[in-house]
Amino acid sequence: MTAASAKPSSKELSRVLTEGYLLDARTAHEHGKYVAYTTAVSPVELFVAHDVIPIYPENHAVACLTKRMGTELSLAMEKQGYTSHLCAYARSDLGYRITGKSAMGGIPDPDFLLACNAQCFTLTKWFEVLSRKYEVPLFVFDTPQWIREPGARKEIVKYCVAQLKELIAALEQLTGKKYDYDRLAQVMAYSQQASVLYRRFLDMAAYKPSPISIFDALIHMAITVYLRGTPQAVEYYQILCDEIQAKADQGVGVIADERFRLYWENLPVWFKFKDHFNLLKSYGANILTSLYVHAWSYEFDLAKDPLETLAENYCSRFSNVTLEERAEMALDLFRRYSMNGSIMFVNRSCKAVSFAVYTLKEIITETTGYPALIFESDMGDPRFYSEAQIKTRIEAFLETLQRRQAAGA
Amino acid sequence: MVEQRNIKPAALTRLQEIANDPYGCLADLRKRKRIIGSTLADVPEELIHAAGLHPFLILGTNNPIRHSAALLPDNSCSLARSNLELVVGYQSAFFDGFVLSQVCDTTQHLGDIWKRKFPDHYFENFLTPRQVARPSARAWYAEECRRLRGALEQYAGRAITDAALRESFALYNENRALLRRLYAIKREAPALMTNREFFDAVKAGFFMDRGEHNELVQAVVQWAEQTKDHQASANGYFRVICVGIVVEPPALYDMIDEVKGTIVADNLCTASRYIFYDVETKGDPAEALADRHLRKPYFTPINEDVRRIYADLISLCRDNNGEAIFYVHIKYCESQDYDLPDIKAAMRTEGIPFLELETEYQTTHLAQLKTRLQAFCESLFTKGAQGGVR
Ligand code: SF4
Ligand code: SF4
Repeated sequence: MTAASAKPSSKELSRVLTEGYLLDARTAHEHGKYVAYTTAVSPVELFVAHDVIPIYPENHAVACLTKRMGTELSLAMEKQGYTSHLCAYARSDLGYRITGKSAMGGIPDPDFLLACNAQCFTLTKWFEVLSRKYEVPLFVFDTPQWIREPGARKEIVKYCVAQLKELIAALEQLTGKKYDYDRLAQVMAYSQQASVLYRRFLDMAAYKPSPISIFDALIHMAITVYLRGTPQAVEYYQILCDEIQAKADQGVGVIADERFRLYWENLPVWFKFKDHFNLLKSYGANILTSLYVHAWSYEFDLAKDPLETLAENYCSRFSNVTLEERAEMALDLFRRYSMNGSIMFVNRSCKAVSFAVYTLKEIITETTGYPALIFESDMGDPRFYSEAQIKTRIEAFLETLQRRQAAGA
Repeated sequence: MVEQRNIKPAALTRLQEIANDPYGCLADLRKRKRIIGSTLADVPEELIHAAGLHPFLILGTNNPIRHSAALLPDNSCSLARSNLELVVGYQSAFFDGFVLSQVCDTTQHLGDIWKRKFPDHYFENFLTPRQVARPSARAWYAEECRRLRGALEQYAGRAITDAALRESFALYNENRALLRRLYAIKREAPALMTNREFFDAVKAGFFMDRGEHNELVQAVVQWAEQTKDHQASANGYFRVICVGIVVEPPALYDMIDEVKGTIVADNLCTASRYIFYDVETKGDPAEALADRHLRKPYFTPINEDVRRIYADLISLCRDNNGEAIFYVHIKYCESQDYDLPDIKAAMRTEGIPFLELETEYQTTHLAQLKTRLQAFCESLFTKGAQGGVR
């Protein structure tokens, strides 16, 4: 046995890391640590450097939605007066608070809440509900839209740095401990290393055939969401990159006879995840990527003040830039990954990502000339998913792609 | 002369005409000035005014949605949809430009779509802080005012001097003070004017030249001052606290009038949030605007103390001897959607009768709302303060 083969696979490591992370969070108080809920896109590095364990109610919700618990949990909160129009993550989470039902044994209660609105505004309101329920402080990190003018951006960064200082003060108050900036520098370095590797992994979609699909990206983004800023995340993405690189080197693609390379707009329909993959596969189509999975490829500049580079990175996520810039980000992926079509999901759960989709489609199809399918549904609640209709539309779209290919388009 | 007292002054009639056909008045104004629309509720109009431009509030349309349906999904709130409908479909000829503020996911995206639709119009974002819980919010609001001031100067092709700005502050302060005075009289003498009349008088100001609006409101205040004592009896009216963002369609006010509810306090973006508190005319103008902004009543999409969603309503109600709260809920307004269950629970605990009125701009179920309102009032009067939460 060589030393290299003693390394765990990324899959094994993911399981071990996830279990360890959850155990840490569940026993946080026994070890003098704190649990904070936060949004998937938020400057969690500040927590990691201060022994505050981040928990993402969104991730927990994904686990429940994937197990098709969406409707049941939503009904529970609707009974208490909430509407079914809200984000399925929030519905599932509030349903869990009422019923205690979970796909993964639940998550610990919070000591602190942090909502960063670069991702969406829903989370602020959802966390307001939790803040009242658990009587714990809510800190809203307000990230104004990352508009293009450089002068305005400089001021936005200033505002955000001021807020991050306020956040640090709030964390010091929570824990009674002075903030350690040297530790933060170390955490930032790990976060940066993991981000570089995570992006390298995503960019492997440029190979033909692609050794990954969006479904791989969705599975493997979990570690960077909840463990960024730790050496474990760096190790994990190194192993993952090595594995995928080996596949690429051998010319192994996710789809043996890859004919169509597609872009997916929006989050996935979690409970249809596998079905969509198989349907597409039967046509030789692979969905390579989405801006959504790229939301975690940060570019921290370690030469800068950590708060400044945090502010710049978290403000400039695709969900917080202007429509033109978001289109440009998607078009960049089109070019780099040689994609030739898109499936654009208007997700009734997620106004933040969905409201721009009609206009985005206009820009992307105009610029690339490649066809796009648009469909409306919900990412987590089968009540709003029309099986037959969506399947027919996806099939019809794939047939269009086939015809175009046959015609040499 | 007693029979004369109920005759409403011509100024009030004029204000109502404008409120009910606001875009007509803009067409006239456009012959004199460039017209800049802004969205509720946080753009400092004084800055636009001081640049020699005419600011007005874009308040949507109750006409059917045709053009904006292809641009926004149907689970966006009707305020956003009908604002877009208005500018895309009906009245774009009245506007030279826009300053749009971003308070929620809907408004953030709306701004982008809007800008793309009108590439030849002036367009500015106003990045309102979405938290007012901490000192950073004040500094940011002031900074955004400075940025907007610079942008407006460029567009208008002239400097906005501090002196011009202070004049605008004074003009708007006068306007707010007049409207607050009128509100106070209406509160004392509910028979003097209907809810619809009062809120129309406020609304007319969103569109008109501010100086002309001041003159008309001044005339109404004078009439009200002279007439109120004869109308002071509040008998037969019950005191309503009206809560929400906008009250649309305005027929809702008529319904409240019909059941003899008199609105004595509110936290609407189109009323108290608009008329409460003045801008300090001394000191740094941007900071003065920020100070006013931070003093405004609670607004659901802006984060502050999480209990303000109901704590403010309880004090509004207690301080004004309210007998019931009417919560106007714009369908698909997420922000309100998240607040409502906790608000209702708090009202139950407090024993404050509470009625939720879910509406949309293009609403087709006014009769249903009316029935709910009447049933609520009946139970309120038969059970006293135990009118319940609906
Ligand atoms: S609204 Fe969208 S971004 Fe926000 S939590 Fe829901 S899915 Fe995520
Ligand atoms: S009504 Fe609600 S959802 Fe609509 S723009 Fe206003 S805050 Fe946003």
